[in-house]
Amino acid sequence: MNTYRIGVDVGGTFTDLVLARADGSVHLEKSPTTPGDQSEGVLAGLTLLADSEGTSLAELLGATAAIVHGTTTGDNTMIQMNGTPTGVICSDGFRDEMDLRRGYKEDIWDAALPQPPSIARRRVRIGVPERIDADGKVVVALDEDAIRAAAHRLRAFGVRSIAIAFLHSYLRPDHELRGAEIVREEYPDVEMVSLSHEVLPRAPEFERTSTTVVNAYVGPVISRYVRTLDRRLRDAGFAGDLLIARSNGGVCTPAAIERRAVATVGSGPTGGAVAAAAFGGPADLPDLVSVDMGGTSYDVCLIRDGRPEVKTEWNWRHRQLIQLPMVDVQSVGAGGGSIARVAGGRILVGPESAGAVPGPACYGFGGTAATVTDADAVLGRIDPTRFAAGRRRLDLDAARDALARVGAPLGLDADEAAAAVVAVIDAYMTDAVRRLLAVAGADPRELALVAFGGMGPVHATTQAAALGMRRCLVPLAASGFSALGLLLADHVVDETRSYLAPWKEVDLAELTAVADRLDADASAELADAGVAEARIERRWFLNLVFPGQTFDVAIPLERAAGRPVSATALHGAVDEFHRRNAEARLIESRSEEPLVRGLRLVAVGRTDHPALAPPSAPLPGELGPRSSDARRRVHVAGSWVDAAVVDAAVVVPGGAPVVGPALIELPFSTLLLRPGDIATATRAGALLVDVGP
Amino acid sequence: MAIDDTATPARASALADGVTAEVVRSAMETVCFEMATYVSRHATTPILNQSNERNATILDATGRLAALSVGVPQFMLTSTLPVRFALEFFGDEIYPGDVIVANDPYHGGGHLPDVNVFAPVFAGDELILIASIQCHHGDTGGAVAGGYNVHADDIWGEGVRYPALKIFEAGRERRDVVLLMRTNNRLPGFVGDLRSQVGAAQIGVRRLGEIVDRYGPDVVRACVDANIAETARRLREEFTAWPDGTYEADAWVDNDPVGNLDIRVHVALTVAGDHVTVDFTGSDTRPELRAWSTFGNTRGYVIAQLASLVDASIPKNEGFFDSVTLVVPEGCCLNPTVGKPVSSGTHHPGVEVGDAIALALAQIIPDRCAPQSYKLGSPRQMWGDHNPRTGRPFFDHGGELYAGWCGAVRGVDGWGAQNASFGNLVKATAEINETIFPYLLRGREYICDGGGPGQWRGLPGSRMIKQVLAPTRVNQYMVNRRHVHPGVNGGRSGTGDRCYLKVGGAPEEVIDVKVACQGVLLEPGECLVYEFGGGGGWGDALDRDPAAVLEDVWDELVSIAGARRDYGVVITGSVDAMDLALDAEATTAVRAAMRAA
Repeated sequence: MNTYRIGVDVGGTFTDLVLARADGSVHLEKSPTTPGDQSEGVLAGLTLLADSEGTSLAELLGATAAIVHGTTTGDNTMIQMNGTPTGVICSDGFRDEMDLRRGYKEDIWDAALPQPPSIARRRVRIGVPERIDADGKVVVALDEDAIRAAAHRLRAFGVRSIAIAFLHSYLRPDHELRGAEIVREEYPDVEMVSLSHEVLPRAPEFERTSTTVVNAYVGPVISRYVRTLDRRLRDAGFAGDLLIARSNGGVCTPAAIERRAVATVGSGPTGGAVAAAAFGGPADLPDLVSVDMGGTSYDVCLIRDGRPEVKTEWNWRHRQLIQLPMVDVQSVGAGGGSIARVAGGRILVGPESAGAVPGPACYGFGGTAATVTDADAVLGRIDPTRFAAGRRRLDLDAARDALARVGAPLGLDADEAAAAVVAVIDAYMTDAVRRLLAVAGADPRELALVAFGGMGPVHATTQAAALGMRRCLVPLAASGFSALGLLLADHVVDETRSYLAPWKEVDLAELTAVADRLDADASAELADAGVAEARIERRWFLNLVFPGQTFDVAIPLERAAGRPVSATALHGAVDEFHRRNAEARLIESRSEEPLVRGLRLVAVGRTDHPALAPPSAPLPGELGPRSSDARRRVHVAGSWVDAAVVDAAVVVPGGAPVVGPALIELPFSTLLLRPGDIATATRAGALLVDVGP
Repeated sequence: MAIDDTATPARASALADGVTAEVVRSAMETVCFEMATYVSRHATTPILNQSNERNATILDATGRLAALSVGVPQFMLTSTLPVRFALEFFGDEIYPGDVIVANDPYHGGGHLPDVNVFAPVFAGDELILIASIQCHHGDTGGAVAGGYNVHADDIWGEGVRYPALKIFEAGRERRDVVLLMRTNNRLPGFVGDLRSQVGAAQIGVRRLGEIVDRYGPDVVRACVDANIAETARRLREEFTAWPDGTYEADAWVDNDPVGNLDIRVHVALTVAGDHVTVDFTGSDTRPELRAWSTFGNTRGYVIAQLASLVDASIPKNEGFFDSVTLVVPEGCCLNPTVGKPVSSGTHHPGVEVGDAIALALAQIIPDRCAPQSYKLGSPRQMWGDHNPRTGRPFFDHGGELYAGWCGAVRGVDGWGAQNASFGNLVKATAEINETIFPYLLRGREYICDGGGPGQWRGLPGSRMIKQVLAPTRVNQYMVNRRHVHPGVNGGRSGTGDRCYLKVGGAPEEVIDVKVACQGVLLEPGECLVYEFGGGGGWGDALDRDPAAVLEDVWDELVSIAGARRDYGVVITGSVDAMDLALDAEATTAVRAAMRAA
């Protein structure tokens, strides 16, 4: 009797869990994250869920069809740089690609910016004679003795994981495959051999090499973690599917992680974006900006046509390039813990954060810095008696003292300083949204805002108004939204294969062969995951560029299942490429013809989603329900007003709307309504705000 | 934005200064980002849409720099003078809806390929701000394709000059102007790229208009003033900490493209309290030179170098210019009389301005001193009539990846591919280029012992080996052979640049390019071998931690012989035998002897 699906999202402080029952209802839980081995915190959280269901852990797990897990093991490995000692074997003459980084540096003004820590220093990057050209022809045969020597040398240097990346291997993998064979012969107990044509079978060399090297570095660590978690779950009685979130917004099996673990790096913020897209659907809001404001960061994602935007190129994480498709979540250092200070007569906020410990001054854990949370508390936007579901009482005096210290040099009292801090952080966040939208060419006035994370609902309506957005959606599960997103995520295989030719010289038989191989790989992965063919949707894209351009543009390509790629489809894609250029780029004629760079397939295998409904959550301690005429003095839109305080549970679909100024208390968060804002409940477990001017 | 209107008037004003100025600064930098991104999305030329060489700025009604964003520092900082000329020229004939184009080196610009497009922001009939976007274009008309006619006798030989041209007037595109510009350019995509700049400027105007509407013109002006004053204040604070005095330095360009040798850039930099005067009197004045950096170009390089020497978080605006007095005698190579050719001089002696300032200031504030320079010569051009892959002619402008000329600063060895100020230029790859051009890239690794020795080591240069697969001609103007990228504070230069042509030919008759070459033919199978120079080191190499030298030897960035010769560090064993070891005793002795010498 497999009743449950469980989403488990590991965050920096808390591990969020969402339990979906057979009837579609969901329950939220939180458990402290255990950084050493995240699986301990996962098991502890599952035990809490079992308690709330009135059952044992073994029975809960025995009745669970799937556990969908988002892990930050890979990201933590990159932050701490404690991955598996890694070496690189590459084409002779190209051992410095990882250091050259195509010339990229993060700060054009800072001559003293240090080099990022090296995954594989030069001594363990070894060029070997071999060369394949851009047509896939062997120009220089593989020097097998050089590979043998390289394997021995890397072993002598203590390398335990080896990346092999040869030029143009995506066209002809022979040399990498033979190289791997030899390495394993010479160094049988090497933990991993990561081949560039398997990790990223496409040009160009820096992107492919870097992704492969990061994979070699984090792969053994992530694989070990997933195996440990799987074993612990099985030992505790779990017999269902364990699924792992990838940075492309989808989920996959542990077997797929073994093949390419780097695909989990950067997956942390994707769950929220996936959930936001899912909530937009029933509200008839397919075009959204999702904003996740927690303690230290503000994560922004654009959702168009019901799908989070995916960035396939130039994805830097932890100062390393990972050229895999990633849900395009841009992060700025703005959150509840962001610290305010005065410099040069102005108030600056963040990106330094007080974190969870010592945390904002109002937490009373010894923090003395004034943070955004302190400002929101002083301005009456957070209920000091019911913070974190009543588990924590906020020290308002400490918050006022901290803010008064910040305001003193400017002649501001605590209240004024609080308003100033909030104005500055709101401006930074507004500008972060604008930057993301500028890159996508989207106009905020045509979008709705979805706000979540503990602090997201507090700042949501101010953000929406500043951006000219008329609608704002706040899920009741705002604080556990990423975990809920895991349950709403599908299997996603998003792969690109190189095919390089001027478009007029494309050989359709060759292109079809590339497509067939791509489809076979994707189908095999989905079949391994047990996804039925009827649940799979395939979208094809042709990657095109003008000659000399660096980054591909993926244009939809018509392809009927199992049929060759047709000349009509190719012409259609090229026409669409020109049409988009004519529309956006004002090019007057087809003065230049594009090059085909590759073929991309996005294959989506649908999972069982829970119903979108109001979640249940732990009761607010010994605090009873709020009185129906509760009011709080709150500073909103520039002045102090007396605002109604409403429990979200009493705002029901079809019921009376809540008119601002008002505060709506959610599980673990608060929605602030400004004068002129009007909130109603949707049937999908969210509050929809008509944003006033 | 929520500003506390319950505060007293005095407090409200303080709040506007402290909060609104910061909010407006952030908003203006965001508008710059939006403008630059618009060009990236809409231009066709790779250097615009993907290399990030597009430079967005916001100026006030008098042409003062209010904000800037992504781009290349040297170029962003050259955008103000063309705007000032246009403001002066048009006077009260600037209207809402105008968009102005300018590229003339003698009306504030750098060189002809850099085209400025800017548009006014009005509140009623009052001019408040200017949105400006500058981009490098691939052709300028003139005698030679590509915008780099380094052999031109004068500016007119380099291309067409547009001192100030309204491409839009009062909201209407001027078809005559578009036709004129299209007619004077070889590239079919030129007008499309130009229009992407126009669109970016118009977006800038709309967004800045929203900001002016929200806060009112007076508050916006006050915020611009406050932000400029704040930057000036922070700069003065930095300058005040510098010891008073006059500090001189020379930087040299090996030669101009026609072989005039040893072009001198001389700076006398005077610190007096909180003010700095940068005086280039004494720089080269030979009239026969083909190496001229316009005043606007020189000014941009001065400020870019100074900006790299102070706290990187200081907002970039007119406050930088306010605190610096520039003396550049007319007629010297850094302020040519009208008509001199400038296409190569933009780079050399342009970048040597940064070298000279870094060397002068290294006498007093060595810690952050690293010349933000590059020793490019001019972009290498390789072309041929027949690409076997396409059956058509090909033209490679040389945007590929290499490492070179990145100096160390105190505490940080030179790293990556180039210095920080070029960190936005993403370079071309071998795998993609090999599908476009008929060549094989045989390597581009760091050169052992190529980095300038120092307590912190300069970045080694790199050796690029390009083997051509079809008859290919090469244009190359070179520098950095004799006057090599300088070290700082006792740090030394690394290796210089070399360019060898026809390597591997049969019979092998290698050409070692010394000044410049034009149209040298490489036959299929022959190689161009270009050795890019290293970056200068920082501090005395004898003070480098011997353990760091040992690490460099393990990494084959420094040889065992180089360790001893350059660093006085004695290392035994070999990398191949995996038994490298530091001989501490011998090192102490060798270093003592070297110090005594």
